[in-house]
Amino acid sequence: MKAPRIFLGLFACLVAWAAAPALAHKASDSYLVLQVKGQEVAGQWDIALRDIDFAVGLDANGDGDITWGEVKARHADIATWALGRLKLARGGDCSLQVAEHLVDEHTDGAYAVLRLTGNCPSRTQDLALDYRLLFDIDQLHRGLVRLELDGVPHASVLGPTSGALNLKAGETSRLAQFGQYLVEGVWHIWIGFDHILFLLSLLLPAVLVHEARRWTGVRSFRAALVEVLWVVTAFTVAHSITLSLAAMQVIELPSRLVESAIAASVVLAAANNLWPVVERRRWLVAFGFGLIHGFGFASVLAELGLPADALVLSLLGFNVGVELGQLAIVASFLPVAFLLRSTPLYRRGIFVGGSVLTLLVSLVWLAERAFDLKLISA
Amino acid sequence: MGRMSKSHRFNPLFSKVVAVLVLVLGFLAGTGAALAPLAARAAPRLPTDPAEVLQRLPMRPGDPTARELAGLRAAVARAAGDDPLPATELAGRYFELAMARGDPRYIGYADAVMSPFAGSRAAAVLAIRGKLRQYRHDFEGALADFAGALEADPQFAAAHAWRGAIHLVRADYTAARTECDALLALDRPTLHGGCTGLLLAYSGRMEAGYAALQRALDGTREADNRLWLLTRLGEVAAWRGQPEAAERHYRAALALGIEDGYLLAAWSDFLLDQQRPAEVVKALAGWEASDGLLLRLAIAGTALKLPAAKAQVQALADRFAAAKARGDTTHRAEEARFQLHLAGNAPAALAVAAINYREQREPRDARVLLEAAVAAKDAGAAQPVRDWLKASGFEDARLRQLGAMSAQAGSVASAPPPGKPEARP
Repeated sequence: MKAPRIFLGLFACLVAWAAAPALAHKASDSYLVLQVKGQEVAGQWDIALRDIDFAVGLDANGDGDITWGEVKARHADIATWALGRLKLARGGDCSLQVAEHLVDEHTDGAYAVLRLTGNCPSRTQDLALDYRLLFDIDQLHRGLVRLELDGVPHASVLGPTSGALNLKAGETSRLAQFGQYLVEGVWHIWIGFDHILFLLSLLLPAVLVHEARRWTGVRSFRAALVEVLWVVTAFTVAHSITLSLAAMQVIELPSRLVESAIAASVVLAAANNLWPVVERRRWLVAFGFGLIHGFGFASVLAELGLPADALVLSLLGFNVGVELGQLAIVASFLPVAFLLRSTPLYRRGIFVGGSVLTLLVSLVWLAERAFDLKLISA
Repeated sequence: MGRMSKSHRFNPLFSKVVAVLVLVLGFLAGTGAALAPLAARAAPRLPTDPAEVLQRLPMRPGDPTARELAGLRAAVARAAGDDPLPATELAGRYFELAMARGDPRYIGYADAVMSPFAGSRAAAVLAIRGKLRQYRHDFEGALADFAGALEADPQFAAAHAWRGAIHLVRADYTAARTECDALLALDRPTLHGGCTGLLLAYSGRMEAGYAALQRALDGTREADNRLWLLTRLGEVAAWRGQPEAAERHYRAALALGIEDGYLLAAWSDFLLDQQRPAEVVKALAGWEASDGLLLRLAIAGTALKLPAAKAQVQALADRFAAAKARGDTTHRAEEARFQLHLAGNAPAALAVAAINYREQREPRDARVLLEAAVAAKDAGAAQPVRDWLKASGFEDARLRQLGAMSAQAGSVASAPPPGKPEARP
């Protein structure tokens, strides 16, 4: 009589799903966040109520629902059970207590949130963590641990065969992480032709002055430098803002829209050189379109993946990298452009010719991206 | 602004620096304000009402399934690690629950129940371990376990069937044939029919495969077997370009009244291919908890521009992120479809589909890799599928067409060498 049994079980669970449709089936995870600073331990541990129920039993009245009252009545047992399966040592075992019991939601349902405090014997030694929650009854359970030891973040996924974690005090992994994202930032401005062409379109006229409907060279290097600094700074500030917002998923835009808008920004910047509309305050243009380019950088960063444990630092590294890459371009462009500024080669060939070429290329990009075509390889 | 030329306008540099600083600070404050509600939403809270229901459990202690599980657990406790049979029975029941409900927690429970018997060579112990391992896509380990089970009990037909199924997933048709033949030798016509039918269908003899599955169906009254065979018949009929026959099989399977995640997924995919998304939304109502079915639901809802689709797409994104955080990689085929059809990220879809295809090589795995390669315009990435199409002679017209399209999909650097064009057998 197997079929009816399965059917009944399914019926029961269909009823449950109908009541809570958004909750997923997922293997069990707990989320442990710890900060160890010297001797002091602070942290938070999110454990699924369903898992706690399976381990210690929470459904006191047997109605299939876990209420806040039922959880509250077992707070002491939950703390004893959980803390008995987590060991932290720094020059000897650290004490751990649950300072506060809260609740939260994750993708697969409600979680008990244990706010932890504690104390370790040593303030400088290495740290050892031993995690054994639920492994005895659920071998697919994983402990997702984010631990900050004296300000240095670490992240680990702990399983039945890898429940122990040993961290060296004073590791410099943060610096390495910063450096890694910095290099990525430099690299991505150099291979991002649309960003470079946009910047160059704005920089090309920086060594020129449009007076009496014709272009002449600027008088001083300082004038050109200030103009360049304004443009580059505005572009930088703008794309840093949107890059940060997108990376933190505050704003998300469809990539086709972003890519098309970036292409359009290059079109407009190049066209503006040929038929000047905006002659002063080019930095405003750089700022406005820089906001769009930031979203483009963000998609690159999304592919790289940002470490959750060092999001701000990696973001900063990437940003600084983009700036350094930009400065390198500017540093090699500006002196040459300044020297050539009064020659016909610069004004006709590089300025007009380059703008025409940029305009053509960016128009093709715009068509490709807006209509999802493949005309030239990008 | 005055009409002076730019070259004279750099004097009040200081005020400009101040202006830029103000601007930056203003935007940082704006960013902070924008982030604040996000942080507030994610914050843990202290409920006030003791009667507030925080979590609904999958079953009540008094439910028949719960009582049965409690009985099995008690038997395991009584055996106290001496006799593996009660544990095997409990783990088997957990495995069934995981399959029926699409809930992986039961796999973890089953693993834990079996862990004291890691050294056992008993056929039943090895068989359940093999099933659990294949669920986690440890196909090598699973094959070894089922081989061990057959060593202990050469008459163990189910072990041959599982080995056959794993070989089919990995597109190793020679090895699969050995297992199918063993089922015939053990005089298990239904299992043999299912095994051979799929083998023939996957390896370029669709008509013969269809007939073998049909014969197996005619020979069995058992509802579970009929469900499985009807589902596979529906798939094969659809590959053969016979949607009416496919629909007949799927409807017959649904009429059995046994809820089955695989059947619903296959039926939904069929409906999506037939441009009938509205029926998918109806068929999958209430199945949002399963990632695979939520994916189909979201694809259908997006096609229909339903308001609920947006939240479903977001829920899927969250779930794939949660799975990634724990290092779970068993849903790559679904993730590839998500990236391709819902997130609109062809390169990401291609990357996931390509990794998935190294592990799983069934027609649906082949299809998503081809589709992703076409969308990402990367001919080279789909080469393994075109190789398989050529070697197996798989006859699905849609897949053959996708294969040809993928070969012309740009990316000169990784395009296949000339002289290896797609050929219909």
